[in-house]
Amino acid sequence: MKEEIRAMQDAMERFGYIAEPEIATAVFLAKEMGKPLLIEGDAGVGKTEVAKVLARILDTELIRLQCYEGLDVQTALYEWDYPKQILRVRLGEDEGRSADEIESVIYSRDYLLERPILRAITRSEPPVLLVDEVDRADDGFEAFLLEVLSDFQVTIPELGTVRAERPPFVVLTSNRTREIGDALRRRCLYLYIEHPSLEKEVRILRARVPGASERLAAEIGRFVQALRARQLLKTPGVAESIDWAQALVRLHREHLDVETVERTLGCILKDRHDMADVGGEALETMVGEAVAMG
Amino acid sequence: MTARDLVAHVARFSRALREASVRTSLSDEVDAVEALSRVDLSDRDEVRRALRISLKIGPREAEAFDALFERWWSAAEARRREPRPDPPKPIPVKRPGRVPEPARAPRELEVERPQGDAPSWSREAVLRRKAFDECGPAELAAMEALVSRLVLRLATARSRRLVPTRGRGRVDPRRSFRAAVATDGEFLRLARRARAIEEARLVVLCDTSGSMDPHVRFVLAFLLALKKAARRTELFAFNTSLVRLTPWISAGKLRPTLERLSAAVPGWSGGTRIGECLMEFVSRHRDEMVGPRTVVVVVSDGLDRGETDLVGKAMRAIRSRARRIVWLNPLLSDPRYEPTAKGMAAALPFVDVLAPAHNLESLERLLPLLAA
Repeated sequence: MKEEIRAMQDAMERFGYIAEPEIATAVFLAKEMGKPLLIEGDAGVGKTEVAKVLARILDTELIRLQCYEGLDVQTALYEWDYPKQILRVRLGEDEGRSADEIESVIYSRDYLLERPILRAITRSEPPVLLVDEVDRADDGFEAFLLEVLSDFQVTIPELGTVRAERPPFVVLTSNRTREIGDALRRRCLYLYIEHPSLEKEVRILRARVPGASERLAAEIGRFVQALRARQLLKTPGVAESIDWAQALVRLHREHLDVETVERTLGCILKDRHDMADVGGEALETMVGEAVAMG
Repeated sequence: MTARDLVAHVARFSRALREASVRTSLSDEVDAVEALSRVDLSDRDEVRRALRISLKIGPREAEAFDALFERWWSAAEARRREPRPDPPKPIPVKRPGRVPEPARAPRELEVERPQGDAPSWSREAVLRRKAFDECGPAELAAMEALVSRLVLRLATARSRRLVPTRGRGRVDPRRSFRAAVATDGEFLRLARRARAIEEARLVVLCDTSGSMDPHVRFVLAFLLALKKAARRTELFAFNTSLVRLTPWISAGKLRPTLERLSAAVPGWSGGTRIGECLMEFVSRHRDEMVGPRTVVVVVSDGLDRGETDLVGKAMRAIRSRARRIVWLNPLLSDPRYEPTAKGMAAALPFVDVLAPAHNLESLERLLPLLAA
């Protein structure tokens, strides 16, 4: 493995992100090649976390744009501060200023509300721009994003073109609720994060929940891995197992038993049908196996 | 290895991938060359990772990619000529966590009352529940009238996008300000935006084979009524071949249209080759007709005489573009039915909603799913 990639892996681990070689390589390449990184994977596998860790490694700001259906350019890019502009116009009239004077004032940076994308390209230190759950925005927004990501410049008719001196590091995440358009995908580097292996999950739990003993972490890991092997409606991710470990530490549990698991199952299963599916005898067997194998 | 060797290798590998139906483009190859120049080329796993990242290999293609890469790596040093791998079999990939639920949902709905603004007088109520294959001509005509009222709901579904409107909606400062410029800075009229009304875009693929005969007439009647509300509906019939019916449909009475249709479709009421027909749709029409807002409706019992492998392949290709795939299966109204017909089983992983289509009530429930 190349030195720099191992260094990236170590740096990510220092900030609490246990990265497989795939993840470290993807982050390294995206950073070196100056390309956006598109991360896909199930909910809770740590997609968003990659952007957060990258921001901490580079010691820079993280700017987040959460996507949703109906997200429009005004919310993502910029908006004029209309109330402030109107007040300024009224004041200017009272002071007897000319229209040109007023106009040059109200269409200046002071009256511009920067939204995440504009903010990301106007910073002198390049930040990390996280475009979260891009699959939720509609395809019109995707086309707009494509334009911004290709030249990192934005044209504001009243002000002129704003260009990023140094382009931000861009991370896009998607839960694959719909397929991301080919053009956008081609513009990025691509990483698919799978659910972690048992060994990795235990390491993550140990890193993120220092209060959990080696034994508890291993039991949680085995139990959650067994859950993932079942056909569930909402498969628990690492985010859920971390939550669960934290809950168990708060409850001062050193190891799993059936009663504790029953009471805290809501930390990892978020669907009524899944709960019913796993309950009863199946649960006892799973807890038994998770504890016995240690 | 020199940079020039690298380019040649990537280009050949990428071509081999395309032959194994893993999509890559020229810009991916450029990325791949750049990525490879930054990693340790003697480390096989690192090269594999860099290629997966830069060639944008998704989870569905991962298996085919890995197999090809292994072969390529072990062969690369030994010989220079291009290996020709067997195209891998299509891998039926379930989309995480989503498949079992929609397939089950329509059955649970079975016991529900008719929706919201359903008219309550008894003749309509009876019509709604009457199976199509028991209807006489008079009932048919009544059904037509009912359907055309129902589909109006489809035409008025709102999206979450905000578009400029007159009158109602929330204030749009940007446009209000612009308008005020014309009236010397006074806000005489506020511009507003409201949620857009999206026109549904449908592509309907209708099985007209013998086994579908009692049902297809009524499903077609429903679809013709839909066409009035959703003008961008495309209609295809298939049995042993695929026929585009859209040009044959005109507004007006149902009966003459149906007669024109049955004249246009060769082998009406014959056998089916679902896979071949769906593949033909994919290669000839998918790119222009199916987009992120399009709902694709397949009306078929899944009894297939052709190649079942093709059904899965075609469905996957449609799935990758469409907003939703609805499969209407008239056999589903029989509670003993399980979707085990080979064609049906192959298609199932890619279907968002599997629903019965044996009476008007079942079709009515579909309307919200068809909206854009």
